[in-house]
Amino acid sequence: MAVIGSATDTLNTALKSNIVPDQEYLLQGSVLDQYVEVLLHRLRGLCDNVDSGPESFHDHELCFTLRATSGPGSAMVLPLRVRRALDVPEAPWQLRYVGQHELGDKNRPTVVRSSIDMACSSTIVEFLTELGCRMDFEYISRGYMFRKGRMKITVSKVFKMGGLTNKPGESVEPISQSYLVELSVLAPSGQDAIAEDMRVFAEQLKPLVHLEKIDYKRLAHLQ
Amino acid sequence: MGVTVLQQFPIVENRTGPLTIDLLTKRISALGATQQGQFLVDCETFTSIQQLGHQRTVHVLHNSEQPATVFSILETGTKTIPLATDGLFDLLMTKMNNFYTAKKQTKVESKGPRFEIGDFLVKLGSVTITQNFKGVLVEVEYKPCVVPAMCWELMREFLQGFLGSSVPNTPPAYLQNRMQEIYTPIDTIHQYLEQFTMYRKSPGMRT
Repeated sequence: MAVIGSATDTLNTALKSNIVPDQEYLLQGSVLDQYVEVLLHRLRGLCDNVDSGPESFHDHELCFTLRATSGPGSAMVLPLRVRRALDVPEAPWQLRYVGQHELGDKNRPTVVRSSIDMACSSTIVEFLTELGCRMDFEYISRGYMFRKGRMKITVSKVFKMGGLTNKPGESVEPISQSYLVELSVLAPSGQDAIAEDMRVFAEQLKPLVHLEKIDYKRLAHLQ
Repeated sequence: MGVTVLQQFPIVENRTGPLTIDLLTKRISALGATQQGQFLVDCETFTSIQQLGHQRTVHVLHNSEQPATVFSILETGTKTIPLATDGLFDLLMTKMNNFYTAKKQTKVESKGPRFEIGDFLVKLGSVTITQNFKGVLVEVEYKPCVVPAMCWELMREFLQGFLGSSVPNTPPAYLQNRMQEIYTPIDTIHQYLEQFTMYRKSPGMRT
């Protein structure tokens, strides 16, 4: 009779055979409110879910960090994000670790960052808070999701939180007059061919939206 | 998934762990049970580093009955918070090892044969802490019912039927406070953690 291996062994085997999707390939851009319909129309034409139409979502995301100082001047920071669907309250919550993103050189078509993504129970917020995490910020994201092969495209509007957030659409204020557009793939490391597919797809969306490798460091001075 | 009762089976003198499991296997087989594979429940414990303030403990458990889930129980001293996640939580814990470090020599597991007999699932587990045998845990699940109060008497009779008088007449402490609630997999995890904690505290074999 087969002997049961431990979960840790199974995970290690999966890691060794490189089948754990722990890398996110990402391109980002934005489109002004008045042109979003044109972009959605274009995406409907290009993407897989033609018959069913785009899938809408309405999510609440909370961004936490776990911090500690490991000596003079050296701080350890672990970012963790929690997402829940406001429009599907019975769906599992989502916990996500997103690592430092690497821009790479000019030849690399997308940003790559490590990502560990999992479903979790709704006790996660209390769990993280008691674990020692601090919530840095939260927001509401509402929009549409499209698929093209392994690629995921989201077009979403980001809202500031205001007051209590249990009821969708209540007292929220958009942070800008534009929509955030993201093109991403979650894949095991080393699958760089997908980045090339993403570059080609991004080309097809021009000039409606320019999807680029966004360097967050360049945006730091805007805060 | 039904109500589960976890019960320690005493090891009598001159009887080793494998012999005890053999004995129980014979008893349950004589009742008509058939073996359906093996099972494994394991637990690893992590503690917070000093810089995070007051000490907190995270127990991470796996149960082969729910192979795609990782169960965690966070103990803060005043609160106990359960969490169920996908398998990748183990990978996340490796990212957290600067903040929460694994306690040395505390990896506990209970593993052994798994039997089916009518509506019951019976698991005979040898408990080991870092490969050292510590005792025997018997898990019995009554699959058709999810409310402990409605099936405890039946389960007690079944348990006493093949484990004998070592089974107390009252439900395990953990269940006593939840007799009218709907039983879920995390409740089984809580029971294992309570038993594992007792094994960790007792220096030799628990008899």
